[in-house]
Amino acid sequence: MIEFRDVSFVHQNGVRALDGVSLRVDAGEFVALVGENGAGKTTLVKHVTGLLKPASGSVLVDGVDTRAASTAQLSRKVGVAFQNPDHQLFSETVEEEMSFALRNFGFPPEVVRERVSWGLELFGLGEYRRSSPLILSGGEKKRLTLACILAWDPQVVMLDEPTVGQDAIQKEKLAGTILMLKSAGKTVVVVSHDIEFLWPIQPRVVVMKGGRVVGDGPATAIMQDRDLLASARVAQPQLVEFYQELHRRPGTPFVHPLDAARWAEEAMLP
Amino acid sequence: MMWLSGGFIFRRGDSFYHRLDPRAKLLNSVLMFTTTLLARSIFEMVLVILFMVGLSAAATVLKRVARTMAFTALFSGFIFVVNVLFTRDLETSVLYAIRFIAIVVSTSIFFITTSPDELEQVMKMFRLPRDVVFAFVTAVRFIPVMMLDTIQIMDAQKSRGLELEKGNLIRRVRNMIPILIPLVVNSVMRSGELAEAMEARAYGAVPRPTSLLVYRATRADVGVVCAAVALFAIAAYSFYFVVPVRFP
Repeated sequence: MIEFRDVSFVHQNGVRALDGVSLRVDAGEFVALVGENGAGKTTLVKHVTGLLKPASGSVLVDGVDTRAASTAQLSRKVGVAFQNPDHQLFSETVEEEMSFALRNFGFPPEVVRERVSWGLELFGLGEYRRSSPLILSGGEKKRLTLACILAWDPQVVMLDEPTVGQDAIQKEKLAGTILMLKSAGKTVVVVSHDIEFLWPIQPRVVVMKGGRVVGDGPATAIMQDRDLLASARVAQPQLVEFYQELHRRPGTPFVHPLDAARWAEEAMLP
Repeated sequence: MMWLSGGFIFRRGDSFYHRLDPRAKLLNSVLMFTTTLLARSIFEMVLVILFMVGLSAAATVLKRVARTMAFTALFSGFIFVVNVLFTRDLETSVLYAIRFIAIVVSTSIFFITTSPDELEQVMKMFRLPRDVVFAFVTAVRFIPVMMLDTIQIMDAQKSRGLELEKGNLIRRVRNMIPILIPLVVNSVMRSGELAEAMEARAYGAVPRPTSLLVYRATRADVGVVCAAVALFAIAAYSFYFVVPVRFP
């Protein structure tokens, strides 16, 4: 679905944001991009929507070279919710905000109404339908931007730091939404520093550092690699640390970090 | 847009020119600016521009000054055409076109080598009201931030299918609404947050706050100003006492 072939990119200020990145994300995969600030995660996302074009190498989205397509064309397939919701909200009402992209893509009015209602209900924003999006709280704005993206049903959903400003309940709901998208066959890419959020939903984890991919694999394998994560300034999930600590002691009952997770969950139940 | 801003906005540097006293840099720019107004021949104007190019090279900002010149050249071209049409005097038209570039470059060198903090100190030395100085310097400081905001907003809206280059003029102007509203809202929100943060850090608690930076003129300051004064003196002498040599 998405393929980076030896992609490099240098910003105008001379900073090499991507350095020979080769990465393949298949349709229906759920991938988390993690890494220190400035590792090139957001730059990678912008390449998928064609907002940035590679200096060398190529990026293919559903077989289409991003250099040969406009952002509007690519956006029909790839929905991106950027980090700061204030960078996109401008309409008079929440429902108009949600319908903006749908109208841009030429959806018929009845479909627009239907999708807007669906998105608002999904993210618990129905009561704000006729309110200004600018009066929403930070968390609500973030949810609105997600709803805006999902409204046009893109094949790929990319979320840049979706948990920022979200409380625990909303994070849980977001995790549920991501799993729902995954089960619906969508390709989901999440950029996040929130390891505790990513751990329970078990994505394929791609670790980035200095514009390079330095680690790639299932969450259980990557999250146990303390040195790799430390080199990319990513914290280990607490449960994995707990498991590794227990594993050093003789007679540990767990053979896998997920066993430890399950045990901890059961132990915490009343 | 960022390419263009590179020719106008301060970026930290470590050249001798960056380290000059901001008062010397201001005086130097004012002298260069005035000299360009006094220069009456292409030769003199080229001399001033060469001086500015030399300073830019010494300040390691030549590339960015060249961007400023390239951008200004578009307007200079317009000035040249209008002058040729109305005055029918090729030499004067060329002079005016070059003068415009020189004027912009003389101010550009000051702004790209002087930090907002230094600018603030210079303005305070002129006894301008503190609130006015603060508002001006903050506005300057936030220009690159707003440019970055604009790019991010454009990215976000383009990712929602907005095509800025599509349609006729009216449609294109309307397409700017999703860019301008978040930009204005963000700026207003940011200014409110900044005001609160400043008050929380005792802004306005005393009428005359102390300063972190104290400037003293060095030999380099005197040298650069003397060079600019010499150039100014030549241009002034030429302006008042020498009949300009004109090409046949």
